[in-house]
Amino acid sequence: MSDRVDSVQLMPDIRLPAEAKYKNELDALAAHDDKPRPPGWALSPRAVETYILGSPKPVGGVAITPKYVGDKGLIQVCIATLASDRALMLVGEPGTAKSWLSEHLSAAISGTSALVVQGTAGTSEDHIKYSWNYALLLAQGPTPEALVPSPILRAMRTGKFARFEEVTRTSPEIQDSLISILSEKQVSVPELGEVTSAQRGFNLIATANTRDRGVNEMSAALKRRFNFVTVPVVEDLEQEIQIVTKREAELRSDYQVGVPPPEELSRVLLTLFHELRKGVTKDGKTKVRTPGAVLSTAEAISVLFNSSILAQQFGSGTVTSQELAASLVGAVVKEQEDDVKALREYMETVAKGRTGPWKELYSASKKLLRG
Amino acid sequence: MDLALLSRVRHFPVRHHSPRTTAVLLKWLERVKPAVVLVEGPCDATALVDVLCDAQTRPPVAILGYRTDGTPSSSLWPFAAYSPEYQALKWARANGARAEFIDIPVGVSLAVDRHAPGLGVESEAPEGSAPAPDEAVPLTEAFARSQGFRSFEEFWEASFEAPDWSPEQFRPVLTAWADVVNAGPRPGYHRQRDAFMARKVLEVVAGGVAPDQVAVVAGAAHTAAFLAGDVDPKEEAKLPEAGPCAVTVIPYSFPRLAEQLGYGAGNRAPHFYQKAHEANCDFRRATLEVLLDFAAHLRMRGFSASLSDVLEAYRLAVTLSDLREKSAPGLDELREATVATLCRGDATHVDSFLWKSVIGHEVGQVASRIGQNSLQAEFWREVGERRLPRTDSPETFSLRLNNPVEVGSSVFLHRLRVAGIPYASLSGTGSSRKQGAEGEAGGYAALTRVRESWQAQWTPSTDVALVEKIVLGDSLEGVTTRVLQERLTQAKTTAEAADVLLESVITGCSQTVAQALKACDAHAATDADLPSLANAARALSGLMAYGTSRAHSDVGDEAVAALGEKTFGRALLRVREASACAPEGVPPVLDALRTLHEVALSQPRADKEGWLTEARGLMESHAVHPATSGLATGLLYLARELPEAEVALEVGRRLSAAVEPADAAAYLEGFLQVNALVLVKSRDVVKALDDFLTSVEPERFRQTLPVLRRALGALGATERRYLMENVMGVRQLKDKGRAVKAVLEEKDKATLKDLSADLGKALDDLDDLL
Repeated sequence: MSDRVDSVQLMPDIRLPAEAKYKNELDALAAHDDKPRPPGWALSPRAVETYILGSPKPVGGVAITPKYVGDKGLIQVCIATLASDRALMLVGEPGTAKSWLSEHLSAAISGTSALVVQGTAGTSEDHIKYSWNYALLLAQGPTPEALVPSPILRAMRTGKFARFEEVTRTSPEIQDSLISILSEKQVSVPELGEVTSAQRGFNLIATANTRDRGVNEMSAALKRRFNFVTVPVVEDLEQEIQIVTKREAELRSDYQVGVPPPEELSRVLLTLFHELRKGVTKDGKTKVRTPGAVLSTAEAISVLFNSSILAQQFGSGTVTSQELAASLVGAVVKEQEDDVKALREYMETVAKGRTGPWKELYSASKKLLRG
Repeated sequence: MDLALLSRVRHFPVRHHSPRTTAVLLKWLERVKPAVVLVEGPCDATALVDVLCDAQTRPPVAILGYRTDGTPSSSLWPFAAYSPEYQALKWARANGARAEFIDIPVGVSLAVDRHAPGLGVESEAPEGSAPAPDEAVPLTEAFARSQGFRSFEEFWEASFEAPDWSPEQFRPVLTAWADVVNAGPRPGYHRQRDAFMARKVLEVVAGGVAPDQVAVVAGAAHTAAFLAGDVDPKEEAKLPEAGPCAVTVIPYSFPRLAEQLGYGAGNRAPHFYQKAHEANCDFRRATLEVLLDFAAHLRMRGFSASLSDVLEAYRLAVTLSDLREKSAPGLDELREATVATLCRGDATHVDSFLWKSVIGHEVGQVASRIGQNSLQAEFWREVGERRLPRTDSPETFSLRLNNPVEVGSSVFLHRLRVAGIPYASLSGTGSSRKQGAEGEAGGYAALTRVRESWQAQWTPSTDVALVEKIVLGDSLEGVTTRVLQERLTQAKTTAEAADVLLESVITGCSQTVAQALKACDAHAATDADLPSLANAARALSGLMAYGTSRAHSDVGDEAVAALGEKTFGRALLRVREASACAPEGVPPVLDALRTLHEVALSQPRADKEGWLTEARGLMESHAVHPATSGLATGLLYLARELPEAEVALEVGRRLSAAVEPADAAAYLEGFLQVNALVLVKSRDVVKALDDFLTSVEPERFRQTLPVLRRALGALGATERRYLMENVMGVRQLKDKGRAVKAVLEEKDKATLKDLSADLGKALDDLDDLL
């Protein structure tokens, strides 16, 4: 059976999990953490907050980089929730760093972010509780060795955080199997006559997408087991530029590919994203059509990264509007024909009238958008 | 001034409306047991301490100081139950101590020219949350942010409200904070008040009370100045002369208290602080109580909110405050916890309705012995008897004006409106078609209504106005009469006088009805202004039709009718002259002509024949402005006084090539102003139009284009459709021309809308007939 392979996110080395990548930061914070820690926590709530939001001064000689840029209060509500017996539900538009936040919270509090269930339409109760190694089951009958625990069960046994990505992609009946786990903090295995109780330190971080709202609406009973935190879309242009530039640089160093894109192009890209999202230009004078595709921060990062690879491999070695336009069209125009129109309209009404890189972007996109 | 003696008096620094300050102050008073309690507040309000402390008085209440010389100027000193000043007075009363206010008198404070908007005199909050107009971020706000707080209010709550202070710790801390705020230049006004209050305090000591028997309860900034000896007696002389004024106590409300935030005299959430005050400053308990309120509120609206959600929200709020190293949750934690648990991450419920309940909508009550003035008494009696809204949140209701009780309510509300007492506003007539047409609450529109929709909300400014208006009369009718009389003496035209007449009828002021009638008559004799006369004629015709029953006027309807006839006649005399006006004077004249036409057709006693003769004269005359001729033609056609063929002939004549195209266009503009639908339906008329347009030379056409565009722009979709149909008919185009077809096929919503407008007009006409 391939259950296990499906439901556990494999972490190839190409991308290190947060706890490995920021090990030195986490170690330094733990070493200098004199505040009380909730049972089972690797760090005190204050230190977790510092890890997520970064610190202006180094801790024990290690600079703590910000992992999330935004409202401090929001992070505090997340941490305070996780210290209680309620689970945390991060909701928001796609690409607002929900999973990113959930990974870093798990890494900082439990020391691992690897206990993940990815919610899909095919997720079954086995993925949430346990399944069996059928060869062993046939040979020996139900034994603890034959039991294959789900990431959630493993988190319960070890007192760690489990993560459940995209809960609302899973069917409601399956979602509801979380209710007993979250309220009784127990999973019973009748085949073995056993009940596994969660160790202290266990909790669950789930994420759900507001664009999926209504696909599989969560039951009221399950909702009551969660505290909800809405992760907002970044409203501030400068802040978003900062996030995108930083994350894109990280990706380039992770994948050892690409050339740094010039600042003014990042600005052009993010301005375009902001204006398309809001449906109106920065100066509030021109209305633009909003495309159906999700224009998230994550999408902007990917567009920028993509164009930097294009420039390095197939271009002149520096990122120009040419590469940006090529990546942009792929991102904004996913499959809907309407989105082509929206982007073309934007280029004709807004980009055309602007100067500098906008002009080049306009002429570069003109060829691509024909059709 | 003996500043050393001043510092030997016992001082207690306060922040206005701070529950923690109140709790600590009461502990301190119990320990010190002063014989005299001196409180920051206008010294001429000392006599009102009895009323404030009366068992029947229930805060929030406010001291109202107002000018008595008719200048509209007043100030409020609000008190909540948790205001330290209020509790200091209560303590003094309960413990046999003398209680006095020591701040500058109301008259002086009203004379000081400051920009405290609206009600605020208490703009000198020691904590300096007063808005500093020059700098974007006030000092205190910047300080709070540098400490990692999101706002000054959060900083204040976390640092001063939440911790369980003892008096020994609290006084120095608050004074030290005030010192920090005082470090910048202190406005002269505050220093002048320092000097005044210091003198008052020393006078009490000089009167034979031992300094340590005197407790001074004043804003922390003042206290800090007293303790530092930073008082300059010479400053007092800079205060202005007091104006004539009086003080009283009026009810106040929580929403207004919340509004005062930013002037240092308010709270972000009075209801929350009230809860904290009642729980002896246990902010955890207040948080829990408010969360329970929220859950009840959510359930009432059909959302699920269980007790376990409340517990979780409470726990989250406490955990958050621990994480933020606060000693108890404040409003910020309350809000975040509510969003995360009760509202499932969605802040819209909190913003749309829940948050209003932490502000609260309580209205205070003042002991009856203050003797409300007669206007207040009348207002509250009427509001009670007529079951009108009495809370500080907007409520809507409607009145059916077919029974005497509701007509009485309408008269009452219209009187308040005319007298300028803010309470209710007319939100519509129930049927939207007349809305916007008149767009006014009173006047002719009010006369014709059978139903009125009002929105009413009591606010402290209602009572403020009631107190101030007493100079104009001792009953609402008296005040309204006075206001109307003043308007009448200022009226310069017949229309203005007629307006007053209408208002007098609507507000049931019989005295001014007679006076206004006389004034109308007098003005009409000399008034040469046609629009004014026409409006007056319409007003009088309205009164003839609907009667003056509201006013119980002894003048009788006959007098009105006689005057109406006379005014109409006078208006007719001026028609010709007024119509020969310059182009810029045309629009009001056109309005006036339409008004006269309306009156002539609807009012049996109006001289209809006279009007028709005048209209024919206009139609035929070439001396008047062509637009008036056009209008007259249209009106006559509409009134079926002119057969279709004659209209076509007339229009053709006016639009013929011999006529100056600009004049022709102006004629057209006036003509099409009248019910255009009927006009463009006539093929002969359309033919004349078409011939005219095709015959204009290109050069001329360009010149007349603006006027033409204005004339034809008035046509709606349906009218255009008819026009096109007829043009096609005239030219025998049949099915040629795609553009025309497109217009023809537009038979959608616009048509229906126009149809309903037609129906509305028809109903209007029916109304007038009945």
